[in-house]
Amino acid sequence: MTASHLRQIASVAGLLALWQLLVQTGKLSELFLPAPLSVLASMWEMTRSGQLPWAVLVSLNRVVQGFVYGAAIGVFLGLLAGAVRWIEDVLDPWVAAVYPIPKSALFPLFLLWFGLGDASKIATIAIGVLFLVLVNTVTGVKSINPVLLKAARDLGATRLQVFTKVILPGALPNIFTGLRLGAGMALILVFITEIEATKAGLGFLLWEAFQLLDTTKVFAGVVTFGLLGVATTWLLQWLERVGCPWLQRSN
Amino acid sequence: MSHVLVALRDVGKVWLIQRTGERVSALESITLDVAPGEFLILLGPSGCGKSTLLQIMAGLETPSSGEIRFPPLAPGVTANGKLTSMVFQDYALFPWRTVVGNIVFGPEVRQVAKGEREERARRLIDLVNLNGAEQRYPHELSGGMRQRVPLARALANDPQIVLFDEPLAALDAQTRRVLQDELLRIWGETGKTFVYVTHSLQEAVLLGSRIVLMTAHPGRVKRIVDVPLARPRHATGRAEAEMLDQLDGLLGEEVKRAMAI
Repeated sequence: MTASHLRQIASVAGLLALWQLLVQTGKLSELFLPAPLSVLASMWEMTRSGQLPWAVLVSLNRVVQGFVYGAAIGVFLGLLAGAVRWIEDVLDPWVAAVYPIPKSALFPLFLLWFGLGDASKIATIAIGVLFLVLVNTVTGVKSINPVLLKAARDLGATRLQVFTKVILPGALPNIFTGLRLGAGMALILVFITEIEATKAGLGFLLWEAFQLLDTTKVFAGVVTFGLLGVATTWLLQWLERVGCPWLQRSN
Repeated sequence: MSHVLVALRDVGKVWLIQRTGERVSALESITLDVAPGEFLILLGPSGCGKSTLLQIMAGLETPSSGEIRFPPLAPGVTANGKLTSMVFQDYALFPWRTVVGNIVFGPEVRQVAKGEREERARRLIDLVNLNGAEQRYPHELSGGMRQRVPLARALANDPQIVLFDEPLAALDAQTRRVLQDELLRIWGETGKTFVYVTHSLQEAVLLGSRIVLMTAHPGRVKRIVDVPLARPRHATGRAEAEMLDQLDGLLGEEVKRAMAI
């Protein structure tokens, strides 16, 4: 462990200890800032009762489905648009029009179209992920050195082979950037879509606790969201290491 | 007439600059035969269209006028590989593929069986002296090692002709000397036909069996010079110096003419 690690741990532990102390001595009200240990106890309690794991599972189901659909369509359209001029021309105005819309603003429409169930939430998440992945994939394809395409053709690659063996791997680093941004977006959107019109999920748990002014539980929800964020980042970093081994610089 | 691999007749190439609508003539009435087994140098100042000519031979560009023919092979010679294969300027290696991965790209897309293409890669890695670096990615290689990969990759398709687009221009002088010798050794060992673009007179005299001297704006063939010098040649040799001198005079006129425009 390096000195840098020690300082980081000391920073977190120190601030949490100070916080705990301030609450215990009555300098801070538990109504606004519940003590770290209380939050931990609340999380443990909700885990034992199954409430928290269930909420996480419900939300993760929506996040993963929305993410996978959005990412798959985004990569597919992005590769096509990046590589084929007329497809880009067809897609471009739609991307320009929809990309700047906060995707949460589409949720009411999706509620109308897809009903109160999971479908409307998954669709909102998918749209949010789709555009981030699409835009980054297009950038990835355009950043490929054109001489590589020439080299592939010279070596005898067919159009399809150029696509699968040059354009796809060439765009992969940017695709992963899109996926990482998309994962963050998915977590934001799952929270927003779970505030209304649902009786399950981490967002619902958090919002319900807020309405009951159970601040400790609100914190428990926030911390759990944070842990989900860290877990998805790790997962995607691992995927990127496996998917793009050439990007690891040697020392 | 002896057998030819490629016959260019009156080939011209005109580029259209879209922004201005201008038409720029890059190549004009190029007539040239490439003979089997020769080390043909395309020599000329920047902007003389020698890279364009190479790309036309590779089939990556089509001529605007004239024709390029690939006469049927001589009896007894079978083409199981591609006719031409290119070694690009700036390597053009696939950064996501290892050295071996780059070398087998051609056979892979042309559906050569896995065992066979790996065997080919092993032989080529031996030939270009890349042993030990098989599993490295391009960015993990030194400049001198990196330039060996595109040559092995081009040879993996077993082409009749290897086309080189200023492959050593980006290297330092010493590395270049080493690779020039390697290139000559590989040319000798494989018996392939090399067509080699360069703007370096020295390189032309050291490597070439025939030199096509080109003019600029538009690119034309000014003269085709045989290089009758014995091999191995020496950068400091007397006969080499005389040849250099003679070419220098011819090329100098061209550079001046090109600069005047």
